[in-house]
Amino acid sequence: MKYLPLILRNVFRNKVRSIFTGISIAISLFPLMLLYAFLDLQDDMASSTAQYNRVAVLHEGGLAGQLPIAYVDRVRRQPGVKDAIPLSWFGGNYREEKTQFAQFATDPKVFFEIYPEYACPPDQIAAWQSDKTGCLVGSVIAENKGWKIGDKIPLQGNIYPVDLELTVRGIYDGPDTADRSWLVFHFDYFDESLKEARTPNSGNAGIIMLRTESASKMSPVMQSIESAFASSDAPVKPMTEKEFGASFLEMMGNVRGFIRMTATAIVIALICVAANTMAMAVRERTREIALFKAIGFNRNTILGMFLAESIAIGLLGGLIGGIGTKFLFSLIDLSSVDPGLGMFYVPWRTALWGVALAAAIGLFSGLIPAWRAANVSVIEGLRKVV
Amino acid sequence: MSDYHDAVVQLLDVTKGFRRDKIEIPVLTNTTLHIPRGDFVAVMGPSGSGKSTLLNLCAGLDRPTTGQVIVNGQNLGQLSEAGLSKWRSQNLGFVFQMYNLMPVLTALENVELPLLLTPLSRSERRKHAAAALRIVGLEDRADHYPRQLSGGQEQRVSIARALANDPVLLLADEPTGNLDAHSAEEVLELMQSLNEQFGTTVVMVTHDPKAARSAKRLLHLEKGTFVQADIEALEASR
Repeated sequence: MKYLPLILRNVFRNKVRSIFTGISIAISLFPLMLLYAFLDLQDDMASSTAQYNRVAVLHEGGLAGQLPIAYVDRVRRQPGVKDAIPLSWFGGNYREEKTQFAQFATDPKVFFEIYPEYACPPDQIAAWQSDKTGCLVGSVIAENKGWKIGDKIPLQGNIYPVDLELTVRGIYDGPDTADRSWLVFHFDYFDESLKEARTPNSGNAGIIMLRTESASKMSPVMQSIESAFASSDAPVKPMTEKEFGASFLEMMGNVRGFIRMTATAIVIALICVAANTMAMAVRERTREIALFKAIGFNRNTILGMFLAESIAIGLLGGLIGGIGTKFLFSLIDLSSVDPGLGMFYVPWRTALWGVALAAAIGLFSGLIPAWRAANVSVIEGLRKVV
Repeated sequence: MSDYHDAVVQLLDVTKGFRRDKIEIPVLTNTTLHIPRGDFVAVMGPSGSGKSTLLNLCAGLDRPTTGQVIVNGQNLGQLSEAGLSKWRSQNLGFVFQMYNLMPVLTALENVELPLLLTPLSRSERRKHAAAALRIVGLEDRADHYPRQLSGGQEQRVSIARALANDPVLLLADEPTGNLDAHSAEEVLELMQSLNEQFGTTVVMVTHDPKAARSAKRLLHLEKGTFVQADIEALEASR
């Protein structure tokens, strides 16, 4: 600790260089933080939903397949199942917007049984349940779109050849990790619209979401449902909600692998930048290092001082990049820019991970320069003076 | 010549050479030297005569090819590099031609530097550093950075830094080489008074006969060996 003031003075002795190095670390951390925040959010949502014992039932062929709506009642009757709802992705375009947000046709009477973490005033729930063309929207998307109760929401069919005219009857809220960017509406209205359009898709649900009575019943319920429909025309594949969420990422390819690869490339580039800064510092201060050694500072102390200096520069970048990104995205909601992104924020652990990563970048970038500093020849170093 | 038992510096049959392109270039040859406690020795000689090598050997910054260097009773050849570092921090003070002050530290903080290696608390370190600055007459410049000081003042700060850990031996390499006549005189007077008042042993390498005059004794190096010399003869020969 007694060396700290000296280390900090050295960090800022060439302010422009240190600040620019810190900023380059911060700017490079920025996209990295977004990518990792995206992954962390997926994990957070998955772990926060684990307590609700939800199981998604899909067609064996995946999301492209459909399940007869009659399956919902059959699933509901399986032992250990608390309740079940259909969830059909509508995927319509809202006005001129090209990107879509989450729109699901479901059963309004059972929806809150399956998603108890969502909260909505009872009068709004009742209004939604009694209006076939009514819909419920999440607080995040309602704020982004400026929707309020009574607003009309026209959705132009993209996947299905039908357009829907919905009315906002309620706005639901929930904890931070709950997705509050959905729009949910009556399955009956959706199905009737399909029938009117004489499409072969009517009478089918995209997936069925159920809740089991307890966590211990999830596995037997999944097994019994799988075997119950095994020999039907539409065999099913049940999976936990967490697995279901992960399957979306898998559909995009090896996203985690891609993000790690990108992160590695960025980190290596940053280590080179920061190492160059430290190498310049060592070169410029050869005389001082020689003096330090002459008056009794040993090799390890000098190594430690330069490593600490390098870590401090990394931390400077980490604080700007990590904590800065966290606060920036608490002010800016990405889903207002691109509704397809859904909810987005930078969790604290992602921000702190960014700070730690920057410190590690500082450490690794300082290794070679610090080693060189520790091994400066006192005689050679002082010869530069006398 | 002197009482060997009270010698602060003893060089016993020291030879030091450097290899360049497979050729051994001798710098010091079979040199034996005793510098008693409280002495003030000026070492003169032409460039390449081995003055700086002598200083480096005394400081444990370099090791002899053969022979022994004993300073304050410690055979330096028996110490590891880490041991030498610790020993230097406890026994030596350095004064350089270029002062070598840390530009990011104030005068007081520069003087405090060698004390960072001691177990002293921050307030004790500050007290010691302030006392050292007082000795060199710069207590009113404690908060000034090196860039705010004149050359002479910078050198006095570097002397205070050398004194801070209360060394038994002060090694000065051309301490007046970068100073004007007036500042050089002040610095030399300061070193004389340290030697006389505190009994600090001083070994000063210099090219300047005027500087050498402030010493009690003159050693003249010629091609790696000491030759008899006195200041008057030296000045006369110039």
